[in-house]
Amino acid sequence: MSTSQALFAGWMEIPKSAVDHEARQYAEEQALAELVDQYAATLYRVAFSVLRNVSDAEDAVQEAFLRVLRHREQIGEVRDARVWLIRIVWNIVLDRKRRAKTRPETDDVAELARVLPAGGLSADERAIAAQHHTHVLRCVDQLPAKEREVLFLSAFEELSSVEIADVLGITESSVRSRLFRARNLMAGLLNHSRSLR
Amino acid sequence: MNREWTAGNESEHNSKQDEVDATLRVVASLPAPEGLEDRVREALRTAPRTARVLQWPARFVTDNAWVRGAAAAAIAFAVAGGGWGVYSRVQTAKVIEMPSQVSSPGFSNAGATRKPETVNGPVIHRPEAQVVELPEKRGEKDAGKKAEPGPGKQR
Repeated sequence: MSTSQALFAGWMEIPKSAVDHEARQYAEEQALAELVDQYAATLYRVAFSVLRNVSDAEDAVQEAFLRVLRHREQIGEVRDARVWLIRIVWNIVLDRKRRAKTRPETDDVAELARVLPAGGLSADERAIAAQHHTHVLRCVDQLPAKEREVLFLSAFEELSSVEIADVLGITESSVRSRLFRARNLMAGLLNHSRSLR
Repeated sequence: MNREWTAGNESEHNSKQDEVDATLRVVASLPAPEGLEDRVREALRTAPRTARVLQWPARFVTDNAWVRGAAAAAIAFAVAGGGWGVYSRVQTAKVIEMPSQVSSPGFSNAGATRKPETVNGPVIHRPEAQVVELPEKRGEKDAGKKAEPGPGKQR
């Protein structure tokens, strides 16, 4: 083999480090795909509970996974992927909610009526139910941020109070006390709104 | 009575809490739209990846110390040669000597002529002012006026 041929072969040769890199990249992509399959729906529900808009919630989920893609080297170090992902999407959702302009109440009712499961209800009943839920959610929106956040997350049956504390970065006892306060405030708000009607 | 009222109030309180829980649960259990996972996966596939460092060709990755040495020497030679090239082409500028300042340093007088101080001439003594006793004169006038009878009075 002449020198030039040897040099050419050297250029064409796939180095071992490149193979390792390819393999690692493939493994990361597989792990990410598994996370998407397992948790995309959960993240969507978390996002929807705050944003109350289908496309906004879906965008938030995509953004969350794109963030994970950017930090995919850390996936292996994560203890609880579900809580980690919920924390990511939670931060995105709160950020979006803060930046978004408030939509008129009629938009929320229409959106909720559209996505509510039929469950044997007639169109009128669904509309009434959507209106009622929207009213309750409007009252929830009036709560202080700390109480509101805990209340939203407590609605997810798959999240324990320890996990909620993990997502919010607070202690479990704080979660409980905030939840207690939130419930009391909500009862007061609903009473007040009913007396106004 | 009071106990009944408290119990009623409490049950109403609890029913409100149940109402809130029910709404939040309904919202929290809404199904995700169909094909969400596929769309997310597609977004991840098309997302730009962070730049990776280019791989050196295998020939240069070997542990041959002479390759590294030669590369370092070539870089040093190129840098030194470039520096010498610049240095040799730079012409030193002629230094123009500025005339030394004749006058005293500082601002010029801008063409203003200097006037010498005037010589002390003869001192003109002003005559002493005569002291006129005005009040006395006035008094005399007044006295005169008083003494002289007016034309009306004369009649």
